Amino acid sequence: MGDAFSRRLAVVLLASLSFLAIPGLASQTPLRVELQLEPPHLDPTLTAASTVAEALHLNVFQGLTRIDRHGEVQAALATRWEVSEDGLVYRFALRSDVRFHHGKTFDSAVAAYSLRRLLEVENANPQRHLFQAIRHVEEVGTHELRIELAQPDALLPFRLALSAAVIVHPDTVHTNRSHPVGTGPYRFVDWERNEGIRLRAFEAYWGEPPAIREALFTFTPNRVELENLLSEGAIDLYPDASSLTAHMPLMQRADYVIQDGLSEGEVLLAMNHGRTLFQDLRVRRALSHAIDREALLTIYPSIDPPLIGSHFSPRHPAYVDLSQRYPYDPERARKLLAEAGFSGGTPIALTVPPTQYAERSSLYIASDLEAVGFEVELQRVSWGEWLRQVFTERDYDMTVIAHVEPMDIDIYARDDYYFNYHSETFRELWSRIEAQQDPAERHRLLAEAQRHLAEEAVHVFLFLKPQQAIRKSNLQGVWDDAPIPAVVLEELYWE
Amino acid sequence: MVPTLVILATILLALHSFGEYRATVSQLSERHTHALMTASRLMQQSESMLGSGAMLLLADDHFSRRQALFEIADRREWMERLVDELAAIRGEAGSFDDIERVRDQLMESFDALDALVQRRIDLVGQLQQAPDETSDALLRETERLLARQMRTNRSLSQDLSVAIGYHVSGIRLDIRDAAEQMEQQLRQREGALKGFALLAVLLLLATAYHINRSVVRRVVKLQRVISRERPAPHELRVDGSDEIAQMARSIQRYVHRINDNERRIMTMNRELDFLATHDALTQLRNRHYFERELNERRNALAAEGYCVAMIDIDHFKAINDTHGHEAGDRVIRCVADRLRRGLPESALLARYGGEEFVALLPGFDIDTVVPMLEQIRQGLESHSIELGETALRVTASFGLAQQLPGGEFDEALKAADEALYRAKRSGRNRVMYRWLSQDDSGDAAYG
Repeated sequence: MGDAFSRRLAVVLLASLSFLAIPGLASQTPLRVELQLEPPHLDPTLTAASTVAEALHLNVFQGLTRIDRHGEVQAALATRWEVSEDGLVYRFALRSDVRFHHGKTFDSAVAAYSLRRLLEVENANPQRHLFQAIRHVEEVGTHELRIELAQPDALLPFRLALSAAVIVHPDTVHTNRSHPVGTGPYRFVDWERNEGIRLRAFEAYWGEPPAIREALFTFTPNRVELENLLSEGAIDLYPDASSLTAHMPLMQRADYVIQDGLSEGEVLLAMNHGRTLFQDLRVRRALSHAIDREALLTIYPSIDPPLIGSHFSPRHPAYVDLSQRYPYDPERARKLLAEAGFSGGTPIALTVPPTQYAERSSLYIASDLEAVGFEVELQRVSWGEWLRQVFTERDYDMTVIAHVEPMDIDIYARDDYYFNYHSETFRELWSRIEAQQDPAERHRLLAEAQRHLAEEAVHVFLFLKPQQAIRKSNLQGVWDDAPIPAVVLEELYWE
Repeated sequence: MVPTLVILATILLALHSFGEYRATVSQLSERHTHALMTASRLMQQSESMLGSGAMLLLADDHFSRRQALFEIADRREWMERLVDELAAIRGEAGSFDDIERVRDQLMESFDALDALVQRRIDLVGQLQQAPDETSDALLRETERLLARQMRTNRSLSQDLSVAIGYHVSGIRLDIRDAAEQMEQQLRQREGALKGFALLAVLLLLATAYHINRSVVRRVVKLQRVISRERPAPHELRVDGSDEIAQMARSIQRYVHRINDNERRIMTMNRELDFLATHDALTQLRNRHYFERELNERRNALAAEGYCVAMIDIDHFKAINDTHGHEAGDRVIRCVADRLRRGLPESALLARYGGEEFVALLPGFDIDTVVPMLEQIRQGLESHSIELGETALRVTASFGLAQQLPGGEFDEALKAADEALYRAKRSGRNRVMYRWLSQDDSGDAAYG
């Protein structure tokens, strides 16, 4: 009797001890990643805003394939794939051990659903055009997918690795905007405006459990606040530290390391071709001559990113160097403008999204434009406003923006793009590129496309955006370059 | 039971206190640090505004002017959020109207400053291209206004710092209050914990005392009694109905049983001993006992001297044959009885064989013993033994000898036996003894 009572007491005591001890265990500080631009929502299949991909792609969402840190295509939810000899049929073998964060299993039906959804016009996937070659998607058994193409597309595995082609579950397609559910190593916890997106390691993840158990993505567009947070050491990783004014002082600090790298982002002084002013080729060329791009690069104190002359990455084998097509020549710019009938004082609005490179470039650009006779109004807008006003409503004169998706020259062939650029020549050229299977010929055509854009001076093509990540010195695994917009938490660890 | 509960309660109280302490510390470090950080960021920004103002003032082209404006706009936007955050943290702890009013005035002042700087840059540009007096005067006026605006700006920045400083001070007081409150709570909790600990110690002591009384002492007493060679069962009594009392009762029962068994064994031993040393028929000592006794007393007998007598019932075989064994046994018992009664207490009398008896009389000489034996013989002779309806007259022959000088007992016994033999040969029913001569050489003279 006494013994039994003592045992019960011991149990009660231990239970109370453990109860009291548990709250202490859960206090691990999450990794804080700063991305600057608050995403419009959290579904990468529904927005072109790369910040969604940066936070969620490869963390929450995964595709059949993935791009690694060197830009190579790797297996992801598909373990391997085969292509038929005529290049028209792909067969993807799918993983059988994958679960979505809401517990449902991944199989060929889900994969097929996801790809069919990507192709449907009404779903407005921002990269749907990249998958136009797909004619038919069919599940073979539970873990194989067969994709039939209208014309061969050697880049299909690469395209499937992009953030717009991530696999989503039919249960959650309508809620992914606010509560994303994928198959990745991290599950979504919450997203509070001004607080950030919180992700936590997914216990039932099919791959290796990641070293970082919890991460917080914050979005601080205000440069003063951002630099302050960095100097306070509150941020563990900021993948785009390239143009911070506090860049040099931060480089001196022992607790931070700045990694040099390049993204696939072409930085453009984009013009709205819907505006009469920019329909005149002379005006566009004048603008290209007016901007001192070399001087612009001073916004990067410790790296010299390559200048570009067209919408194409210098890292691509088909790249043609057109960066000197329009050398800095304000005199010539003024002359061209005069020829076009603009004598000076022409008002022009430059819409500036809240990125560091855009804000800082816009100051130089404004001065350069004023120097050739424009009267510039700088309109600083929030990211949401930019997406709405510029990207969606196309209500802008000019804007400074980086296009970070790799190999996206095809946007100039699109009718419905915010540039309002319509060129039958380019569209025809692009369809030839798409149909071309011979790599050499394809490269030749791509060169032609680059030249076309340069000759047309569609935008002022500025430079390839550097990707200098600032990270805590003991945080390892950060990608040097950004072949795709993604912060791959799974590969990070504390040293 | 009670001490365990008190100890448990003490531990729980301690853990609870630690939990509260941790919560308070974490609250202090999170909420107040956040508040303090927010306030100091606000303070820093309001002071940095002066620097940004200076940047704006020094701008000699639109690039620098815009750069300064960007910075001012960023600071302003962040300051607005910081004020909101601070208001959310501080709640009703203070008015934020002052901050908001001064901040708005400061922003207006910056706008005015920007307009003046813009005008100055344009005027300087114009003057560089084509100097004219009006522009020059306008530039001087602008410079004057700029200086005034800058003073206003500075004064407003200071006002803002003071307004924010009020909240910094408030937060500092909050932190101090929270720390004091925590210290007070901790002190109270510490007192309670000490009380509990003391109570637990007292209860432990009381328990130890109680256990000592109720368990240890009783067990020790029990152990002492048991360890005695012959514990008395009544000493093993322990009051109560607990395990110790039950154990004591069990021990008591065992001791009882052991004592009973011992007694029985002793009785059996005594009976066995009697049977081993006595003749069952006559209750006299048997021959075995007699010889063992002689052996043991050999030295003592040699020192004090003795007589030895051999007695044999006359015609016993005839009695047996005529009257049966039972009659024979009765005769033997009667003779034995007479011998016992007729011999002194100190005599060692034993049945030596079928109808033969032996008697050792230590310290006696023949002169004393002969009359005793004679009296016995006469007693036998004169009294008949009743055997049912017949009365039997029984006689016995007696052979007596005394210690031979320098001789062993066996020799005296042999001499007595020889004397008995002579008595039988001489017609039975008589006492014969061997005289002891000075130079006894075995040719004894009998009387």
